[in-house]
Amino acid sequence: MTDYSYFPGCSLTSSAAEYDVSFRLVAAAFGIGLDELADWNCCGASPAPHHWGGELGILLPARNLHIAGAGHPSVVAPCAGCYNRLKYAQFELERNPELRERTGAALDEAVRYQTEVLNVIQLLNREIAPDDLSERVQRRLSGLRLGTYYGCVLVRPPEVVRYDDPNNPVKMEPLLNATGAATPHFPFKTECCGSYMGLAKKEIVLQASKRIIEVALECGIDALVTVCPLCHQNLDLRQSQINAAYGTDYHLPVLYFTQAIGLALGHSPAELGINTHKNADFGNWTLDVG
Amino acid sequence: MLGVFVCQCGTNIAATVSTDRVVQAAKSMLGVVHAESIQYTCSDPGQRAIIDAIQQKGLTRVVMAGCSPRMHETTFRRAIGRAGMNPFMLEMVNIREQCSWIHSDIDEATEKAIDLVRKGVARVRRQKPLQAGSSPVTRRALVIGGGVAGIQAALDIADAGIPVTLVEKSSTIGGNMARLDKTFPSLDCSSCILTPRMVEVKQHENIKLMVNSEVEKVRGYIGNFEIDIRKKASCVIEENCTGCLICQEKCPSKAPDDFNVCAGESKAISIPFSQAVPLVASLRKEYCRLFIKGKCSVCQKVCPAGAIDYEQEDIVVTEKFGAVVVATGFGLYDWKQSYPTYGMGMYPDVINALKYERLLSASGPTGGRIERPSDGKEPRDIVFISCIGSRDESVGRPQCCSIGCMYMAKQAILTKEHIPDSQSYIFYIDVRAAGKGYDEFTRRAQTDFGAIYIRGRVGKIYPRGGKLVVMGTDTLAGDQVEIEADLVVLATGLTPAEGAGQLARRLNISTDGQGFMAEGHPKLKPVETNTGGVFLAGACQGPKDIPASVAQAGAAAAKVIGLLSQEELETSPMVAEVNQLKCAGCFKCRDVCPYGAVEAQDARDGQVAHVIASLCQGCGLCNVACPPGVISLKGYTDNQLIAEVVEVLR
Amino acid sequence: MPKTEVKIIGFLCNWCSYAGADMAGTARMKQPASLRVVRLPCTGRVNPLLVLKAFREGADGVLVSGCHPGDCHYNEGNYYARRRMEVLERMLPALGIDPARFHYTWVSASEGAKWADVVNEFTRRVKQVI
Repeated sequence: MTDYSYFPGCSLTSSAAEYDVSFRLVAAAFGIGLDELADWNCCGASPAPHHWGGELGILLPARNLHIAGAGHPSVVAPCAGCYNRLKYAQFELERNPELRERTGAALDEAVRYQTEVLNVIQLLNREIAPDDLSERVQRRLSGLRLGTYYGCVLVRPPEVVRYDDPNNPVKMEPLLNATGAATPHFPFKTECCGSYMGLAKKEIVLQASKRIIEVALECGIDALVTVCPLCHQNLDLRQSQINAAYGTDYHLPVLYFTQAIGLALGHSPAELGINTHKNADFGNWTLDVG
Repeated sequence: MLGVFVCQCGTNIAATVSTDRVVQAAKSMLGVVHAESIQYTCSDPGQRAIIDAIQQKGLTRVVMAGCSPRMHETTFRRAIGRAGMNPFMLEMVNIREQCSWIHSDIDEATEKAIDLVRKGVARVRRQKPLQAGSSPVTRRALVIGGGVAGIQAALDIADAGIPVTLVEKSSTIGGNMARLDKTFPSLDCSSCILTPRMVEVKQHENIKLMVNSEVEKVRGYIGNFEIDIRKKASCVIEENCTGCLICQEKCPSKAPDDFNVCAGESKAISIPFSQAVPLVASLRKEYCRLFIKGKCSVCQKVCPAGAIDYEQEDIVVTEKFGAVVVATGFGLYDWKQSYPTYGMGMYPDVINALKYERLLSASGPTGGRIERPSDGKEPRDIVFISCIGSRDESVGRPQCCSIGCMYMAKQAILTKEHIPDSQSYIFYIDVRAAGKGYDEFTRRAQTDFGAIYIRGRVGKIYPRGGKLVVMGTDTLAGDQVEIEADLVVLATGLTPAEGAGQLARRLNISTDGQGFMAEGHPKLKPVETNTGGVFLAGACQGPKDIPASVAQAGAAAAKVIGLLSQEELETSPMVAEVNQLKCAGCFKCRDVCPYGAVEAQDARDGQVAHVIASLCQGCGLCNVACPPGVISLKGYTDNQLIAEVVEVLR
Repeated sequence: MPKTEVKIIGFLCNWCSYAGADMAGTARMKQPASLRVVRLPCTGRVNPLLVLKAFREGADGVLVSGCHPGDCHYNEGNYYARRRMEVLERMLPALGIDPARFHYTWVSASEGAKWADVVNEFTRRVKQVI
């Protein structure tokens, strides 16, 4: 049993609570220990820190990194935004001694910044072999065509996050395929969902997310799979707004990566929090166990 | 009696190296009786000044400090030869490429130049007069590759009365040009201008054509190559086959149609196209039912000429040649893995331009009707994207394909001629149309044929309602564009032909960073290679269009004709030599010699080594291997090398 | 006249590395003035004793460079060189010579930029240990 420090961030404790629940279920099933960081704070991804001279966007995650530095060798941040901020802080601290000093001064001790930062795909790929997963599948997802949607900040900027191919990430696919699901070619897997423009200028999000759903349907996809709570919000929660704005009739389910794996492991949609989603109708594909 | 000449090379050397100080320093070196600095030593007055000094001062050894010996060693050997000296009593000291051009501090560069001159003086003092040997020349040329460049080279050489063997790896000559519908900028019908040349090759009394053949092993050197050519079994007796095509009609085994870039389908036994030369069928065993399942023999039964022989085996032919022309042409960059956002080959209607050429061609699989691969429908909106796998650092391919801009314009024009209500869009980075009549041609594509040029790259292609949406940027308008296309044509970069690297190694010629074969000098030896007697023609040396390939092929042919019109060739006298009085006969030299140039000779107390000068290539491996150091490479003796080291560090 | 800081002897084969060094020059790629090149037909002509001779005569560093393995103009000369230089490199400490002052490498005729890197990097290394 390997233990990891766990940085849930704000989303996984509120709007994306089902992501946290499903992640913990999958982790427990494979003996992955998750120690939530004590006294963690905002990851720095929300717009506010960036408006304060920009540096707060580094200092906030730096404090989280520092806390993680006292724990396990690796910290996992399932939210793509949190992951990106932690990687960014690490990147800046690594190359800027002066920033390290200032951060240290704010923390009253030398900043610990070298803890390995993992996203959820990275962690599960490390701990779960596709063959193992395949053997433990209770509900084979055969016939389900999943569109892997990575979003932007998980793989970008590539020199900072250094994870997967920024133009064609493929790291979700092996485990999803091990559940029996198909992962057809989806050209919009890193296309922008509109991000936090939902607050300031909703039309941008509606337009961007609509296109993602439109292309997913064109590609014959039954459900999208993501690791980003903000993407999930724009694609799932706002689907009714898209329908209202464009006169469309979309009902495309959007799952978290951990929910898809949880389903395969035999958990019910309710256990995984899929029932809290706005679009949870898989059409012809049934969720029966067996 | 040693003279030192320091070239200023205009300011190329003199700007960084104080040639006066080098001359002053040289005057105090042992044996130097004359030293002077000359503005351009290689010029006519420069060479005359050297000859005058040799004759007036009675010089017997010369040091030339100037450009690289790789540049002008031959020039100066000839010059001192004209002055009556032994041409090998010359040492060139490189104070340009490896000194003035790479340093900026005058003192440092001058000091280095003086060190190098002292080294050269020490070396040439220990040089002995050498006499160039000679070897007979085999009057026969090998041309490798039967595309337009190989065809041109073979015909030019053969027309000069020199026998040529033309080796082609596929079953017909013609190469990539045979696949083209029209050529830019004249819109000549490609087959109409190429096929007569192919037929000439077949009929030429001085040309021996070997298809389905590859060069397997190369021995020897300029004037005297001995080359093994493997003729692969095609299960068809070439002399019997009449090209009637009955076998292809009746063959039940389907096979990919390589000639048509898989735009159509072919058979296991086939003739790639109706103008093929030779017009002879070939069988591809990997697709043949007989060889896969052990039962068929239909072609043998139907062949009226009794030309099918399933037992046929590869033949290896060994022939002697005096010169080789490499004309292996190009391949196309495989874009699928490097451009994942273009669908990685998932969309059948995203094709490369060569396949599109086959769809345009009247002799193509659709008879010249443009049908898109997915549903056979005629496209209306066609998007061309330039620079796929060329001019793109992000995929490690910085060079220009040099023909993409032109053939995109051509294909846009042809598209409009085929489908008058079609619309072509061309995404480009720059329109590079530098050839004669080229710029006018690309402009006609826009003005007369309505092609819309969009300056920018394409980020993504995705499907929508049976069409493909091409998302790109228009960098001139500063805007994003989306075009719904029926067909997307990619102008993919040019790569060396498959197997070119292996062939280059067999011929011992270098390749550049992209694997294209390296010319001897980018300016002055554009068709030569670093290996004497091996010449380059066409796109094997770098991306180029048809006129450039034909011109280079003609130049290579001229070089071959010049070389093979000599009875004998001068060979380098810098070969190994054994002091037989001291040789103990251990034959370590014979063991390491790559050329079998060392033989045993009877001496009074057993056997001693002897170097066959005509076989020795002067690598010096034996010199190092010899325990008592009695075999010695002339011009690079131990004494000379040690003196160089000692003097340069003095 | 100021003395160049370090002196390095380079043994270069005529066909690849010497041509590569020429190419770096033609492209005006600046390099330290530390190197003095001895041109040879092939790295297979480099007697290890010649390298030791250079050290004995006071060379701060010795650089041997030829065609890439497999690309030798004489088919196999650089294979001999590789074995000889590998053994020599391991022997240097026993002779009291810091092996960091010796380097053998492969640079082709088209690798001008690589050649400039090799000279820059090796000069830096020699300066560090001298």
